[in-house]
Amino acid sequence: MDPRIHRRTEPERSYSDTVVEWLNEASISNDDAVKVENLSKVQEIIINQEPLLLDNYLEEVLQFALDRNAKVRQSIAGLIEEAAEKQPEVIPKILNVLLRLISDEAPIVSKRALRAGSKILRATLKWIASESVVTTEMENAWMLISNLKIQVINMIDSDNDGIRTQALKFLEGVVLLQTYADPDAPKKPDDFSLEEVPLTLKITRRRKLEEEANHVMDLMLKFFGSLHVSSVNLITCMGSLALIAKNRPQFMPNIVQAIQKLQSNLPPTLSDSQVTSVQKQLKITLLGLLKHPASIEYAQTIAKQLTSLGCKDSEINKNYPQKEEIRKVKKRQQEKQESLAAAKKARIEPQILSMETDEAMLDESKMPQLVELSENFIAERLSVEIATDLVMDSMAWVPDTMTKIFHNEYQPTSTTDITRQRQVVAKLLASQIKQARSRKMKSDSKEDKTELMEDLIKNPSISVAEVKSQRKLAKDREKEQQAKMALETHEKSLAKARSRLKSLKLSEVTKPMAKEARDKMLLMAVNRILATEKSVILGGVANVRIKILTTLAATFNPYVKEAIINHITEDIRSRIELAFSWLYEEYALLQGFQRRTILCSMTPEAPHQAYNYLLITLVTSIQNVYGKDRDSLLSRVYLEAPLITEDAVEALKTISSDETRGLAPLHLLKELVIRRPTKQLVFLNVLLCHTGHENSTIRENAIKLVVELNAYPELAKMIGEYAVLYLGFLSNPNPPEIVFGSDRGRPNLEETWSESTTRACLGLYLALLSEHQSLIHELSRVYSSMTAEVKRIVLRLVEGPVKNLGMASPQLLELVETCPKGAETLITRIIHILTEKATPSAELVARVRELYQTRVSDVRFLIPVLNGLTKKEVISALPKLIKLNPIVVKEVFNRLLGTHNNDSGVPHTSPVTPAELLIALHTIDPSKAELKTIIKATSLCFAEKQIFTQEIVAVVMQQLMDMNPLPTLLMRTVIQSLTLYPRLSGFVMNILQRLILKQVWKFPKVWEGFVKCCERTQPQSFSVILQLPPPQLSEALKMSPNLKAPLIAHVDSIAENQRAHIPQSIMDVIKGKPQITMHDEFDIAPPGDFPNERVETADTDNLEPAPPGLD
Amino acid sequence: MSNCSLKVAVICSSNMNRSMEAHAFLSKKGFNVKSYGTGDKVKLPGNAPDRPNVYDFGTTYDEIYNDLSSKDRQYYTQNGLLHMLDRNRRIKLKPERFQTSNEKFDILITCEERVYDQVIECMELKLSQNNEAVHLINIDIQDNHEDATVGSFLICELVQLLAKSGDLDNDIDELLHEFESKFDKTVLHTVLFY
Repeated sequence: MDPRIHRRTEPERSYSDTVVEWLNEASISNDDAVKVENLSKVQEIIINQEPLLLDNYLEEVLQFALDRNAKVRQSIAGLIEEAAEKQPEVIPKILNVLLRLISDEAPIVSKRALRAGSKILRATLKWIASESVVTTEMENAWMLISNLKIQVINMIDSDNDGIRTQALKFLEGVVLLQTYADPDAPKKPDDFSLEEVPLTLKITRRRKLEEEANHVMDLMLKFFGSLHVSSVNLITCMGSLALIAKNRPQFMPNIVQAIQKLQSNLPPTLSDSQVTSVQKQLKITLLGLLKHPASIEYAQTIAKQLTSLGCKDSEINKNYPQKEEIRKVKKRQQEKQESLAAAKKARIEPQILSMETDEAMLDESKMPQLVELSENFIAERLSVEIATDLVMDSMAWVPDTMTKIFHNEYQPTSTTDITRQRQVVAKLLASQIKQARSRKMKSDSKEDKTELMEDLIKNPSISVAEVKSQRKLAKDREKEQQAKMALETHEKSLAKARSRLKSLKLSEVTKPMAKEARDKMLLMAVNRILATEKSVILGGVANVRIKILTTLAATFNPYVKEAIINHITEDIRSRIELAFSWLYEEYALLQGFQRRTILCSMTPEAPHQAYNYLLITLVTSIQNVYGKDRDSLLSRVYLEAPLITEDAVEALKTISSDETRGLAPLHLLKELVIRRPTKQLVFLNVLLCHTGHENSTIRENAIKLVVELNAYPELAKMIGEYAVLYLGFLSNPNPPEIVFGSDRGRPNLEETWSESTTRACLGLYLALLSEHQSLIHELSRVYSSMTAEVKRIVLRLVEGPVKNLGMASPQLLELVETCPKGAETLITRIIHILTEKATPSAELVARVRELYQTRVSDVRFLIPVLNGLTKKEVISALPKLIKLNPIVVKEVFNRLLGTHNNDSGVPHTSPVTPAELLIALHTIDPSKAELKTIIKATSLCFAEKQIFTQEIVAVVMQQLMDMNPLPTLLMRTVIQSLTLYPRLSGFVMNILQRLILKQVWKFPKVWEGFVKCCERTQPQSFSVILQLPPPQLSEALKMSPNLKAPLIAHVDSIAENQRAHIPQSIMDVIKGKPQITMHDEFDIAPPGDFPNERVETADTDNLEPAPPGLD
Repeated sequence: MSNCSLKVAVICSSNMNRSMEAHAFLSKKGFNVKSYGTGDKVKLPGNAPDRPNVYDFGTTYDEIYNDLSSKDRQYYTQNGLLHMLDRNRRIKLKPERFQTSNEKFDILITCEERVYDQVIECMELKLSQNNEAVHLINIDIQDNHEDATVGSFLICELVQLLAKSGDLDNDIDELLHEFESKFDKTVLHTVLFY
């Protein structure tokens, strides 16, 4: 038996008993104080007095971790902390307990366990790093430690301020443990850093640990920069960061930056006094940092910050780094830059770099701390393991053949004493190291030293010369590696900076309220703002209110929007400014001028929709306004809105087609066409649409406005095309669907053209005619294919525009000249219209004549321009003219005789005088016109008593008398004249006598008329009759037997002396053989018929002439 | 939490007037309290402004009492110094310097900002080992008898308030706020670690 163990048997037993006793008492007792006290006593014994007992009683002690009392659990946390520090072997056993205690519900336990955790983490890492063999136990323990870290990281979001504080301190410990210490600073006795962790450690790699630490660091910085952090946490965190910055200068830049940021952006949740405390802490921290050599680069920034915190200059100067230190740092920086330059060089040989980097890293990891390396030092440590390692490692470096130097210098050991041999080896090593060091004194870079030592350890058996050459190689490698490291750290710091810029998200730190409650409160808040309408005006912050409401309306949920919309529509007159503000906000969002805030929790509907909805709502609510403001509001909305959506256009279309709304919307449309160039065509289209509206007021006004717009050259083309397009519809057999629909005021489709639909298609066109005379050709082109009904309407509608054009219009004249086929009626109508109230111009006449003579020999064309024709032309056309419909003939005569437009006051000019006309009628070649027609025509003349006066008739008769041969109708006219003007009987007698001289009996027709006339004019005619030669007399009496008796009577009654003048032959005829009575077979209608006919024509006089085409 | 489980330290510059006044008062109320000074020396007013009485921290209250009483008994009786020293020597032996103390507390209360700064400085130099949190609170109190008395009441109120809390670390922000608004005093507050 080992005597040592034996020696301790006695006290062990007694300790063991005591421990059992205490533990029993503790577990039985109900008094917490007793438990705690006993546990602390046990702790003292099993950890400090008799460590061997720990293993035995640990299980039992750990049972108390489940004790109901928080104090007891707390003391267990303290116990395991101490146990882990003193005897790391127990760590695997206590980690589970630790994890449980850390998440304990009682804050005091949790906090205590966190504190313990920090130490246990450190102890574990130390333990793992110190053991040469890694056991499964260790691996498990390390896994639990990793869990622990994750758990603690989550705890910085705990609800408990104190727990957060402790979690922060834990993290501070993690960062300090798992990063490299500042190589320039003197090593602190208690500082355990990554350098102490062997790189060979399989469980965890240095790099991994460092990465983890960097991550934790980022978390801390993030926490530090968050807005919700409490004053205590902030101060703790600041202290931790400052501590880290001082011990791990690589974090200095980030930390200084974070502190700087904090200073300008303190959490808004702090109370005034807390702000003072924090600022005070800031000041102290900054002063502390300023003092630290690693902050030299930031010294000026820090000094500036301190000044802004109200720190006195003297105080700053006291802590400002010494000049000497600054110089040192500068030197270091220079070295760094050199290594950076080396990195650049290294990049030229990337292959070598990549091959050798891993190796180099491995080498570096093996570097032991050999600062005070000396012979004894080496001898002390030259354990079997190290020796083995040395040999194993150097095997790879041993050259294949033995070098000469080695052969010469090597002396085999002559002693068998192990200690002596040890000494020899140690001496050898030490001398080599010293040599190398003295040579390397010039550059006292640490790397060089360690490198040398490293080589020497590796190759204790080879010569210094070889070491040198090897070292040279290694040095190159080292440089490359250094360069690479520098690059890496640079990249890392960049990445860090990037991740730190992440801003605080409110949603992460606040617990969401129930949605309903939130919405309700939101709405209430909005309503309160809405209710302040009057008071803000008094307060002079109306604009601010509008801005707030605008933002709320544009970004919050539909309820808010609705509330604000309702508010606006309640009194849109006075709230229009708010409406506009909102509208612009929506527009800004829609266009992306403004980012949608994160407050907008709902899924954003299409921004366009929001804008559109608002605009339409405004328009609709304006519709409900009564009074004169309505129109001005509407135009404001439409003119000032940043964007007019399609729906808004539709809305305006509907509004403007409502007659009760007045003409303002139509005028607004016109304004919009002019003032909103981007939507010009859209509005124009609406207006054009209205030009075909059923309602005449709308239509006429729309047409009027379009015609006004037509003055704009850029619109004229479109308007013209539209007009022509619609004109084109008229050539279809049915009206197009497009003119129907509620927007046109014709909800139902119609199969046939009506006046309304025709007007819809034609209205704009006709209105444009006066501006665009050339359009007239379109009409004539379409005209031929129109249906009869449409043609009729067109002919009627065309009157006004054509009148406006006047006959001077060159386009009109051209149309007349080039009259297309099928458009004759139209042309005639146009010419009619043109000449209705005025004498045709020479040009017009010329065109018509041209047309008549060359292309269409329809005499009807001539009628309107009759007065412009020459006498000859008129007379030559007369036979054709009188063949037309009596109404037309009458019209012709009216024109010729000037009876039609006597009331216009324009002096009538006619190529023919009435007398000439009548004579012309008589002289018409019977082959060209039937006698009956001529008779009718002459009757028409006689009907115009005002014109064909007694005198004119007399002149006509006189002239006809002189003709040779006598006109067929001469006697008929004479009889007619006599009937009209009985006073002409003397004149007629004269004519009759002259006819006898002209041997009237040679013209059978005239002779018949002559006899008839004589019959009518008895008894005056008796003297004429008696002048006839006897054969003719007898013939006359035969033709008119009624004459005989009166004639005999007359002859008998006349004085004897006069009777003597009558030749006997005549007397014989009179008294002699009785004449045979013949049946009267005259062509000539009895003159009494004519007055009747004249009345008829007078009736039709006032009617519009029927379209010639229908005749 | 009972009054005695909370360990309180009251700290002023010389551990004479303000800290001792509060020490006395808190002791009477049953708190576990100690008092300290942070100055280099113990300084007491002399009979002229430019001639203060200065002692090392090792000097006992009794010695100071005797010293002053021998210098000008009447003057120091009149200005209350002797009375104060008499009270002090009944509470503890001698003034204690905070920087040299190794005791751990839950709450440190300082009586002026300069002292507060010194405590922080001292604690930072010590470097924390266990991460045990301690709350450092400063309440400004003028260094005279009347204010010291009033100040001790305030400190007592504050300590009583803090003692009521079951989880001081978590509640302290609110409690301090409550205290500040109740007495219309501003306090400085920070957390330090042993």
